[in-house]
Amino acid sequence: MVQVSNQLLWEVVKNNNCFMKKVNGRSRRSGTMRFSVEKNNLRSISSYKHSGIASTQAVGIASKNDSAVLYTKTASKCATTTAIAEIPLNKPFAKVVQTVEKTLSDNYYRRDLKNDALAKFSAVYQANRRAKGVKKVVPVKKGRA
Amino acid sequence: MTARPVLSVFSLTGEKTATTPLPAVFEAPIRPDIVQFVHTNMNKNNRQAYAVSMKAGKQVSASSWGTGRAVARIPRVGGGGTSRSGQGAFGNMCRGGRMFAPTKTWRKWNRKINTTQKRYAVASALAASAVPALVMARGHKVDEVPEIPLVLDTSLESTKKTSAAKDILASVGALDDVEKAAASKQVRAGKGKMRNRRYTLRRGPLVIYNENDGVAQAFRNLPGVELCCVSRLNLLQLAPGGHMGRFCIWSQAAVEALDTIYGPEGKRIPSASMTNADLARLINSDEIQSVLKPAMCNDKKPLRKKNAIKNIKALEKLDPYAAAARLAETRAMEARAGKKS
Repeated sequence: MVQVSNQLLWEVVKNNNCFMKKVNGRSRRSGTMRFSVEKNNLRSISSYKHSGIASTQAVGIASKNDSAVLYTKTASKCATTTAIAEIPLNKPFAKVVQTVEKTLSDNYYRRDLKNDALAKFSAVYQANRRAKGVKKVVPVKKGRA
Repeated sequence: MTARPVLSVFSLTGEKTATTPLPAVFEAPIRPDIVQFVHTNMNKNNRQAYAVSMKAGKQVSASSWGTGRAVARIPRVGGGGTSRSGQGAFGNMCRGGRMFAPTKTWRKWNRKINTTQKRYAVASALAASAVPALVMARGHKVDEVPEIPLVLDTSLESTKKTSAAKDILASVGALDDVEKAAASKQVRAGKGKMRNRRYTLRRGPLVIYNENDGVAQAFRNLPGVELCCVSRLNLLQLAPGGHMGRFCIWSQAAVEALDTIYGPEGKRIPSASMTNADLARLINSDEIQSVLKPAMCNDKKPLRKKNAIKNIKALEKLDPYAAAARLAETRAMEARAGKKS
């Protein structure tokens, strides 16, 4: 397998790749948002920082079997099957936050994506809970019952 | 480059059996601009000429009636006894007239491309097919493929049956791509559907062999799969649509042949203008960091400007004596008021 630098990869791939979706903004000519549907893109935005294709280190969080999974790209150079490491996120919310922070921040693995990862995990967690039917009880205020 | 990375060779059942050194072509510079240019021109080379008949619209003996007859001056068909007589002829605006700028067969249909450019493009496309990110970005489903570039044992070339071919692809993880192509078969939008181009299909893997001992016949009926001999690599197959990163399946013999085709005795491999294109590493390297000036620290955020007439503290900054003067003034006023009362 050939090692191509991230910048070069991004230059080749930024204008056309199968994951890119363009959405019109305020007018047809201005404000086009470029989204990206690849797996390891935390904010689904097509940009160099968030790209899961054009980087040796990328982070993804997805829902799997009712719980969340954290994906990180490994240093494996050629193999595509062992290229991504999976870390299941089954524990309660606070514990998972620790796991995510430990895998990213403390390992110096894409520290710039830590907040995005936590945000994505919150969204995935909530989605899983809603799918299971867990409803948050809204407390009734005093005097309104 | 002395230490050449090594490619794993997989048996037809999917186990890693041998290794072979990476051919030098796979390290050619990746140039999407050259590939796009060569592709757009090469794509024009299998066109067939079309044109209207040379005589179309001109086989009339019509002449203008001139002025004074309360009709437009367009040439009109002469004679009588038929509805055609008196009708306009010859102009592009006339019914049955010749078209504007009749298409000619001697239009330049094919394009000449410099041989060096063609070779550069093929080398670049080959290099791109060895980068998993580019293959995935092009849209191939290669998540289950153990390694890219995918090299299979040379016995691949003696496959005889398509069912065997399908099993080989399945064991190697390449069937996802074939299934994607199969699922994408649609009737073409547009007139092409009645011009013998009825269906469109995604492109699947490209199987590259050294000698055809049955591969071509075995694999060709699988949807999306294309075949190519190493010695005749086609840019239109390596970079369909001008986009690099086709998923290629090599036979070991084909990969080893690449080193003779592209090498010191064969075609020249283009050299990159930057040997190390990793900007992040360059910028963070010791050689560069040691000669840079320290980073500028711009913590200061400009505050909103305050009006010195209204805001005493702003006035203080401009006139240090202002506070003291005001204090003295208030004291003097109080003293005056006290004196009066």
